[in-house]
Amino acid sequence: MSDIMLEIKNLHVNVADKEILKGVNLTIKKGEVHAIMGRNGSGKSTLSYALTGKEGYEITKGEILLDGENILEMEPNERAVAGLFLAFQYPIEIPGVTTMTFLKAAMNAQRKAKGQEELSTPDFMRAVKKTAQELDIDSSMLKRPLNVGFSGGEKKRAEILQMALLKPKMCIFDETDSGLDIDALKIVAKGVNALRNENRSMLIITHYQRLLNYIVPDIVHVFSDGKIVKTGDKELALELEKQGYSKFDEVS
Amino acid sequence: MAVRLKASEKILYNALIKAEAQNIADEFLQSGLPNRKNESYHYSDLKLLLDNIPDILENGEFSSEPEFNIAGAYNIFINNGRVEIAKKLPKDVEIGTISGTVFTPENDIVAKLNSALSKESLQLEIKGNLENIIYIEHRSNGQASFINDNIEIELLANANAIIIEIFTSSNNSHLSNHASRINLAENSNLTHIVLDLSAKENRHLYTLTYEVEKEARLNSLIIHKGANLARTQLFAKFVGENSHADFSGLTLAESEQHSDISINISHAVANTSSSENYKSVVRDRAKGIFQGKILVERDAQKIDAKMMHKGLMLSDDAQILVKPELEIYADDVICGHGATCGELDKDSLFYLMSRGIAYETARAMLIKAFLAEIFDFVENKNIHEILQKLIDDWLN
Ligand SMILES: Nc1ncnc2c1ncn2[C@@H]1O[C@H](COP(=O)(O)OP(=O)(O)O)[C@@H](O)[C@H]1O
Ligand SMILES: [Mg+2]
Repeated sequence: MSDIMLEIKNLHVNVADKEILKGVNLTIKKGEVHAIMGRNGSGKSTLSYALTGKEGYEITKGEILLDGENILEMEPNERAVAGLFLAFQYPIEIPGVTTMTFLKAAMNAQRKAKGQEELSTPDFMRAVKKTAQELDIDSSMLKRPLNVGFSGGEKKRAEILQMALLKPKMCIFDETDSGLDIDALKIVAKGVNALRNENRSMLIITHYQRLLNYIVPDIVHVFSDGKIVKTGDKELALELEKQGYSKFDEVS
Repeated sequence: MAVRLKASEKILYNALIKAEAQNIADEFLQSGLPNRKNESYHYSDLKLLLDNIPDILENGEFSSEPEFNIAGAYNIFINNGRVEIAKKLPKDVEIGTISGTVFTPENDIVAKLNSALSKESLQLEIKGNLENIIYIEHRSNGQASFINDNIEIELLANANAIIIEIFTSSNNSHLSNHASRINLAENSNLTHIVLDLSAKENRHLYTLTYEVEKEARLNSLIIHKGANLARTQLFAKFVGENSHADFSGLTLAESEQHSDISINISHAVANTSSSENYKSVVRDRAKGIFQGKILVERDAQKIDAKMMHKGLMLSDDAQILVKPELEIYADDVICGHGATCGELDKDSLFYLMSRGIAYETARAMLIKAFLAEIFDFVENKNIHEILQKLIDDWLN
């Protein structure tokens, strides 16, 4: 078995007929945590949506392999079952569906797709309660419609809760730090760190270096105008923070 | 001047003559069936849509079991227009029937046809705090038949009741024309739920009229799911101060169904309030229609009325037509209306799918979420389950 979790080769993506990603190459090994840093509008969210298969993100060239498997032809739900998870920059509010109902539907959908039996209600409740507690999520929040009226911090914690319950092997975080105060950031980082292991890889998309103090990456990439322009270790993030993005624009 | 009657209208005219309803027959001769030039039938041209009128028949087999068993309910059946009442009456209810025409406060030919052609009218008088739910099942059975029935309900002062009316039918192209007229006396409280679950072959016309007196409370819910052609016309009039009503409804329409809910709310006196919340979900080539009119009369100050229609279109060939209207003659009122219409939200669908939920399931979850709100107010567990199942069945 290969030790590569995610391999993106020369990925070009159009949105509304405009090329946004212009040849992304990225290889993430099993157990590794990578960070992508780039300024607003550089195409970071586009990358996360292209990976998860959102409609309207047209792959014009390139390949995406998850654990050796080509996922480009898969529906978003099939990619999730294959082990991909995106913590959204802006989690969607769904009135009329309680968080509990949603969590159960998601967990059982994935189990069903893998040929496993549905979770019993007590098993499900136990799993949710335990994980929610670890993330400091109040049980009243679980009874509310999904993300409706949640604060910024609650939304991000709810994303991590979903991730912890679904146990994906490749996690993408799209600006999970945005809109969080330092305490909320610490809770989220703690939740993420608890999920780090040798079989799970992570891609942390961020704009600021701040989050990377709490979730320390193995490798850092600088993203500019639709591609990766520099790769280094965690020191690169600090360098970026000091010198700003403009230095890297010249490179690209 | 008399209009030229179509074949189907001639049958109706002859039926009126046979029923010795000369006045209504004369009026019908002048108007014929309502067509698109009548404002309230603009989207439901009955002259066009009612192409064959079956005979008035009382055939058919009728079960002694209700379609739904609701714990503690008092069941009344109306079988092809004939009222069947159980012998043992619940406390606080008087029941009877009268034959012949009933008073039709609505200036509407469909309601007048109903009155002239119905054989007997169910009369209910409710006093006190009713423990039993009143369950009325209108059935159109046997071969295709033209069925007319009507009900008059009087909630006496301080009465409190839940009434559920269900329409069912055999798979034949009946034409059923129903009317319910309900008076809410001072400080009475009514939850009234009406479900059309008749067969797709059926044509269903329903006139529903409320009069709301001082300090009375009404919760009204109409669901259209069954008939191929369904039209409910609701007339409500607030005639006593400090009364309030919540009107709601849901249209589930598929294949070639034509489903029309038209409401007319009249705030005739001051200090009355209402809310109107209607939703339509259509798929295939179905058509959902909502017309809502709120009238506030000249001296009716301090009125609060908010009307909302939300539509969900699940296929390109389906249609939703909405016409809200406010007619306000008083100056110190808060009235408003709104409407939204569209497909399912793509971002919501993607979000659910990105968690592993398959497209069809995600879609059903979102539609269910859209619908669930409409019967949130129903506290009775049995009835809530019936409504939930009705939606689940439609979605599966
Ligand atoms: N749905 C869309 N339609 C048109 N343009 C889009 C859409 N989404 C993103 N873009 C454009 O793509 C570029 C990259 O956006 P995005 O991936 O959101 O960047 P980032 O996440 O790095 O801030 C921006 O120029 C943005 O305007
Ligand atoms: Mg972004």
